[in-house]
Amino acid sequence: MKVVIDRNACAGHARCHELAPELFVLDDDGYIATDGFSVTTEAEKLALRSARACPERAIAIASDDKTHGQEQ
Amino acid sequence: MNSATEDTLTIPEHVPRELVCEFDIWDEISAAGVCAHQRAARFHDELPPIFYVPKLGYLPGAWVPQKTEDLRRILRDTQTFSSQSTMPFAAMLGEHWKLIPLELDPPEHTKYRALINGLLSPNKVTAIEAAIRQHAGDLIDTFAANKRCNFNQEFADKFPTLIFLRLMGWPETEAPRFVKWTHTLVKSQDMEEVVGAVAQIRNYLMQKIQDSRANPVDDFTGYLLNSEVDGQLLTDDELLGYCFLVFIGGLDTVASSLGFHFMHLALHPEHQADLRANPDKIPIAVEELLRAYSIVNMRRIVTCDVEIRGVQMKAGDIVLISTELGNTDPEVFDDPCEVNFDRGDGNAPHMAFSFGAHRCVGSHLARRELRIALELWLQKVPVFRLAEDCNPVMRAAGVFGMDELIFEWD
Repeated sequence: MKVVIDRNACAGHARCHELAPELFVLDDDGYIATDGFSVTTEAEKLALRSARACPERAIAIASDDKTHGQEQ
Repeated sequence: MNSATEDTLTIPEHVPRELVCEFDIWDEISAAGVCAHQRAARFHDELPPIFYVPKLGYLPGAWVPQKTEDLRRILRDTQTFSSQSTMPFAAMLGEHWKLIPLELDPPEHTKYRALINGLLSPNKVTAIEAAIRQHAGDLIDTFAANKRCNFNQEFADKFPTLIFLRLMGWPETEAPRFVKWTHTLVKSQDMEEVVGAVAQIRNYLMQKIQDSRANPVDDFTGYLLNSEVDGQLLTDDELLGYCFLVFIGGLDTVASSLGFHFMHLALHPEHQADLRANPDKIPIAVEELLRAYSIVNMRRIVTCDVEIRGVQMKAGDIVLISTELGNTDPEVFDDPCEVNFDRGDGNAPHMAFSFGAHRCVGSHLARRELRIALELWLQKVPVFRLAEDCNPVMRAAGVFGMDELIFEWD
């Protein structure tokens, strides 16, 4: 599973970081510091929860072979 | 600014009569007292998804979108829905400075906002967590043994003020006058008194800016003095705009939120018991309380004719962004009036701190203050309730507040 982040949409709520600080790393200003990453099977649930918690819907989940895009 | 009485007579022609709300929504919400938010939530059943109010307190008429999705769209479309000149303070003094970055639109906004994001990031808040804890604990210790407290006076007003002064690098002894100014600004119905307070705050902040220019120190103002936008140092008006915004954003909002959150717990001993038994639920409880008791009502100005959900808005119209309505939308939240700490963090995010570019820059600090206040209260004070002689007064305005909260415990 892959996490794909629309950094332009990030408004710095940092809810993803609150739930999963190791996955969602912030820059010095408190905004998301990554465009995306692969997630291990163990961390999938946490990544999904974090994606749903984003008030700006900036976090999309893609399977390894194809992109689903943002559910909402 | 037009007076409200004039505006009651002049509903714009393009506003369909069936969309006009006949009662004063803020009076109606205030009259509901401790049930204010439940009263506001019923607007979703009683009024159209977007309705029009001929006046808002002393402010002129505005559109009131209730649906979270519409509010999200409006907040994101900063070109059509501008934040410029949406706050009355400079105009009260016949001046032209803006609250920065609140009264700027992107792309200007982005440059000014970038200067202060790093000052209030989650990491920066973590760095002062021990001090926040110390302030909260010390305050609670002053009344814990009394088995009774005047919540606003003895805790909610002082706590965020002390943190604010610390962040600004100003002495704690200034706290009483900041509390007094904040009170006048948000509670007084006497326009002359409000203008007087605005002038005093402005003069105080301007003096601080001058002092900082003369003797630069490493504090908030000192940092801004060395900051540049487009290669230019900031002007005095810009520095004032930042400081004034941090003042109104950081003091009353946290104090008012504390009032509603603790009032809820005083009325719901079962929720106190839940959090006392499961302190690890406190962060999630804070999120749910922020949702259920949202307090901030902002405004936007329509820059060009636009249609939202079939409603025609015209350039110059004002739109109210009511976070308490967006956060009780029944299409987004099941049983929206129910305070439920077990909604789960994967549920729909709330908009207590707004959406989009103007997301509350102090949100991380506010959350931490609310969380720590709750943690330490539950540790230091046994089950508390509203005192029998307590008659809480609800105040619906730009920032909702609850006055006259007196708690008792055994």
